[in-house]
Amino acid sequence: MVKKGFEERLPFKRAFLNNKTRNPVLVEELPAEFILTTDARLRSRFPQEQSLFWFREPYATIVLVTCEDLDEFKNILKPRLKLIVQNDEREWFIVFVSKAPAHNDQATKMAKKVYAKLEVDFSSKKRERCCKLDINAPEANFWDDLETKIMECIRNTLDRRIQFYEEEIRKLSEQRFMPVWNFCNFFHPEEVKRYGWYIPLYYAAANLMVEESLAFMFEIAHLHEDALREYDELELCYLETGAQRVCQYGWKAREFGGVEQGDDQATLLEPARKPLTQIVHDDSFREFEFGSIYLPSMLPFCMREVWVITACLALIDATASHYKDGLAAPDVEKEFYRVQGEIYTLCRTKFMRLGYLIGYGSDIERSPVNSASLSMLPWPKPAVWPSLPSNASSEVLAKEKMILQDSPRHKHFGIQRKPLPLEPSVLLREANRRRASLSAGNMSELFDGRPNANDSSGPLSPLPKVNSVSMSRTFSSPGNFEGSIDRPMRLAEIYVAAEHALRNTISDVKLWESLSSIEKFEQKYLDLSKGAANNYHRSWWKRHGVVLDGEIAAVYHKHENYDFAANLYEKVCALYAGEGWENLLAEVLPNLAECQKIQNDQAGYLSSCVRLLSLDKGLFLTKERQAFQSEVVRLAHSEMEHPVPLDVSSLITFSGNQGPLLELCDGDPGTLSVTLWSEFPDDITLESLSLTLTATNNTDEGAKAIKSTEAIVLRPGRNIITLPLPPQKPGSYVLGVLTGQIGQLRFRSHSFSKGGPADSDDFLSYEKPTRPILKVANPRSLVDLAAAVSSALLMNESQWVGIIVRPLNYSLKGAVLHIDAGPGLRIEERHHFEIEKHEVGTQNMTNLDNPPENLSPVSTGVKQLTLEDGKIKLPDWTSNITSVLWIPLRAVSDGLAKGTPAGFKCLRLLRRTIAVHFTDPFHVSIRVADKCNDGTLLLQVKASLAIYDAWLDLQDGFAHAGKGDGRPASSFFPLIVSPKSKAGILFSIYLAEASAKVRFSLFVLYESVFVERQAGLKFVFPIHLTSADEAKELQPVSILNIKYTISGSRNLGAHTPVAEELTGPDNVKAEHLTFRSELVLQRPVLDPCLAVGFLSLPSSGLRVGQLVTMKWRVERLKALEEKVASDNLDEVLYEVNINPENWMIAGRKRGYVSLSTKQGMRFEDRDLNIMPASGCRICPPPQLGLPNVDEANISCNPPGPHLVCVLPPPLSSSYCVPA
Amino acid sequence: MANTACFMIVSKNDIPIYEAEVGTVPKKEDAAHQHQFILHAALDIVQDMAWTTSAMFLKAIDRFNDLVVSVYIKVIHTRLMLLHDSRNDDGIKSFFQEVHELYIKTLLNPLYLPGSRITSSHFDTKVRALARKYL
Repeated sequence: MVKKGFEERLPFKRAFLNNKTRNPVLVEELPAEFILTTDARLRSRFPQEQSLFWFREPYATIVLVTCEDLDEFKNILKPRLKLIVQNDEREWFIVFVSKAPAHNDQATKMAKKVYAKLEVDFSSKKRERCCKLDINAPEANFWDDLETKIMECIRNTLDRRIQFYEEEIRKLSEQRFMPVWNFCNFFHPEEVKRYGWYIPLYYAAANLMVEESLAFMFEIAHLHEDALREYDELELCYLETGAQRVCQYGWKAREFGGVEQGDDQATLLEPARKPLTQIVHDDSFREFEFGSIYLPSMLPFCMREVWVITACLALIDATASHYKDGLAAPDVEKEFYRVQGEIYTLCRTKFMRLGYLIGYGSDIERSPVNSASLSMLPWPKPAVWPSLPSNASSEVLAKEKMILQDSPRHKHFGIQRKPLPLEPSVLLREANRRRASLSAGNMSELFDGRPNANDSSGPLSPLPKVNSVSMSRTFSSPGNFEGSIDRPMRLAEIYVAAEHALRNTISDVKLWESLSSIEKFEQKYLDLSKGAANNYHRSWWKRHGVVLDGEIAAVYHKHENYDFAANLYEKVCALYAGEGWENLLAEVLPNLAECQKIQNDQAGYLSSCVRLLSLDKGLFLTKERQAFQSEVVRLAHSEMEHPVPLDVSSLITFSGNQGPLLELCDGDPGTLSVTLWSEFPDDITLESLSLTLTATNNTDEGAKAIKSTEAIVLRPGRNIITLPLPPQKPGSYVLGVLTGQIGQLRFRSHSFSKGGPADSDDFLSYEKPTRPILKVANPRSLVDLAAAVSSALLMNESQWVGIIVRPLNYSLKGAVLHIDAGPGLRIEERHHFEIEKHEVGTQNMTNLDNPPENLSPVSTGVKQLTLEDGKIKLPDWTSNITSVLWIPLRAVSDGLAKGTPAGFKCLRLLRRTIAVHFTDPFHVSIRVADKCNDGTLLLQVKASLAIYDAWLDLQDGFAHAGKGDGRPASSFFPLIVSPKSKAGILFSIYLAEASAKVRFSLFVLYESVFVERQAGLKFVFPIHLTSADEAKELQPVSILNIKYTISGSRNLGAHTPVAEELTGPDNVKAEHLTFRSELVLQRPVLDPCLAVGFLSLPSSGLRVGQLVTMKWRVERLKALEEKVASDNLDEVLYEVNINPENWMIAGRKRGYVSLSTKQGMRFEDRDLNIMPASGCRICPPPQLGLPNVDEANISCNPPGPHLVCVLPPPLSSSYCVPA
Repeated sequence: MANTACFMIVSKNDIPIYEAEVGTVPKKEDAAHQHQFILHAALDIVQDMAWTTSAMFLKAIDRFNDLVVSVYIKVIHTRLMLLHDSRNDDGIKSFFQEVHELYIKTLLNPLYLPGSRITSSHFDTKVRALARKYL
């Protein structure tokens, strides 16, 4: 009754409401509805959502109470009212309904009392919250009062809500600019789940939505002008963000509830259609009709999908026409295009879904993007899957045929992959499951007979019968299951059923047309893909764009438009390859390769094959990889019009071998060993191969290539190849680029090692591991040659000269030794050369005391070599060890310059002259018997000498005493002279003029020789000279001839002779050797006129660097009488002879001394400052000569050459602090 | 633990250097492509977001039907990306932090060239253990 009274007053007239700016606005009519608090509508909302959907909340709560008893009021009503009022955030007021009949005073009184009480309790001074309705006798002003109160409530509520929304808008606007803000915080998870993919859309649209709520609220409140203004703001806002109407889409799709014809189309911008607000009205007012469970049976099949498609298309049209380039800031523009892209993508996904449902699935590329979009998107969930219409048998046949004809496209290279799914679950199962008639038991048999491309078992004959059963039904009358089908639908039937259902759903002619045939479907699909791709490309989201390019390419590919397809595929491949997403790349690349092959783009095809090969091995089967390789090889060996270089960096990698790097000496060739890794699945033949070497220290010079001329077969995996290396300049080298040929094809590879990162510019920041592979040392000596013999060798005999060949950390393999004997030396070519290992121990065997047999410990390793053209080729075994080469030599004449230049040739030339010292077997010194001047004597032969003859060829002016041939008596011979002994031979000679008799004698004496233990022969010639002859000087020297043989071991520091002829210790018949030695016999001072005396040096001795004064005394022994012709009789020329190696002179070397002609005149102070110039030695001192005076007239003291000892320089103490 | 989870480390050059399916549901053959595709596409969004925030952990930046992508961006712009269906944000964050630490340890290895694929089985084992612990 109350309600009726209320509703009679509706709508409220002339209501004053406040608008956003708090200005009162007169509203002519305000519709209102009274509902009960128990109304289901008020319970349906989730608490979280309420704030946003406040506009659907009641504006005020009117509490109707009645009470007839004070006690009852106190005990029951009042607490309950308090509770209601306190818990209710809404505006409220209380209407007290008095049921007391007018005539009952008692009751009326009671009611009045209660009402008074009520007013006291709930009304305040500011606000009247109570009014009283007397049912039996309504007061005239009650309704006005009530209306005023309602108005007040509504106004208050409206104000609060405006406040709330404004606050919300402000908050959202702030949050919008915080990127991490996530709309899913705001929405219920259910929402997020359903439209998760479109969070960005929500994000952009979030505050639009709130604004729209506000506008809508005004509209509800019939504040139309304000609502319009809000809508205007909304419009601006859409334009600003570029996300026009997205919110509407999101909103509407969420709560979609339209059922009328045309509601499937998004009619946002078509005035003829229902405006959005109306649908929302419908939504809010009719949701109870649908029930909170959205009875989908009420909805046409795939309503949501169709609606989304049309909504998206409409949005795209509207915004695209709205939007002009350059109107917005770049950021906004990008965002706009991105949202456009998203809408296209969404539309495309839904369109594919529809296409799949009616059997165009085979035309949808099973790419990752399509698979991901479709297989994770649940099937539409109609309560009952549409069933086959009755008259569709021909269509079913057509679909069957289509299914049969559809053969899965074979991928190039025979790649067989399980196709990616396009459905969340098998459609057949899903469709049949949703057919109410099918029990779960039927499911198993369903799958046994699952039709596929080759399955023709599905009997066609029962079809008409089935159809006739369901003849009476229309698919749009769900719930009518009387003609239930016991047989599960087959795929073709599902397609046809879906097609028919969709035909009923779709009211948009264009949309239906694009689903009507497979060609149209493809066209639309292509358009949508293009739209999405283009828009993504214009936004920041390149990846999305490129991925969709791949889908476009797939369509072109199918239609054999290979040119376009290849271009687009290349973009996709470049993206995936550049970012290294190999799984995804492996899906696309074979397609690209196929296009390129068909286009005869050999270069592209080759590189695609190589890229396929270089992808991770796990991505393809070995068989497939082999197919790639065979394609590469086939192309490489075919006649290519334009041979292309091929980069196989990812397939053939190389590095130096493990371990130490190759070290070569300057100018040496070598062999470089390199590890090649082949990623080819099979062996591959490389016709040629070359590697560049780059010097690390010298970047000016280009890299040098080293080549292998032979064909190399690379096995899969690790290969070690060796390359001949020509001589390189000093420096260290790293490997550069590998080039080579496969067939006609030149390839190159830059990568050094396996497992490294891809070669992109970014990686340049990381140091590449450039381990040197080769080091060529600076020039140095590689071998050392030295004489093996330290002591002198004997003249005239075949002697072994040892050359120690010591490689200096270098292999002498193949080395050739050139030997060129010096003048006077002859190589005994009839003997072999010998070579043996040199051991350090042999150097110590210069000790004579060692028995001879111990001196040849290495003789076992002796090898004989033959000299050819002055060259000796060293055997290989000596290449790394120190060896001694023994050369048989003979010094052929005496008084020779001695030396053996030996050149070493081992590609490079080492020229070395080795001095070999030869010595005579005898050292001869002369002792004149009566003056007994003792000279040193040395003889370096450690052997017994047998002297068979000795004679003296005298110089002119001397003659032998006695018989005249100068030979000692023959009975002395052979005279055996043993080591460590001296011998003397006495010849008697006389000055020829004086016919002086010379006595001859020979004696042998033994004595131990000093320090060096050098044994020797001492030949002493005690020559007694009695006269001098100056007339003839034909033969200036005397010659001592000795015939001798030598026996004994000559191992000292030398090679053990092997040829017996060389030693022949006891071979008497061996030719006697002749020793010749010159002797200069001095004529005695017969007529001394001048005497030169050497004054003794300071007793402290001489030191290097110390200046000493040397003094001589020149004395005239007798007066000059005959020779007076000279002008300067009293002047005597003198000259100091010094050896500049030993002495430095400070003063005059040559000059005159004044010496009177009288006898006994002496001159003492002919002194000279002299400084010993070098080290500790015993050397002859300077000598004073008198060139103008005949030697025969000078008497010297000491008479013969003598020696002085020079000490080393004193230690410098200038820097030493005494202890 | 999450039913589906695909974890990837993407280097600053956008190259995936580590990849692991760490969900409890056995990996389907075709899922790898899908997961990779979704993660790859999410790079677009990461790219948009990365320079506008200082936060390292970007939770749920992208969604693909039931699957959510969360990303942890590191200073050197290496991205740890997780495709998951669970909503355990704290767990994911802890997972990221610990994997981050692991990754830094890997970087410290002188034999590891930054930006190259992580092949260490030790790393793999640890990541999977962390996934079991947190996701």
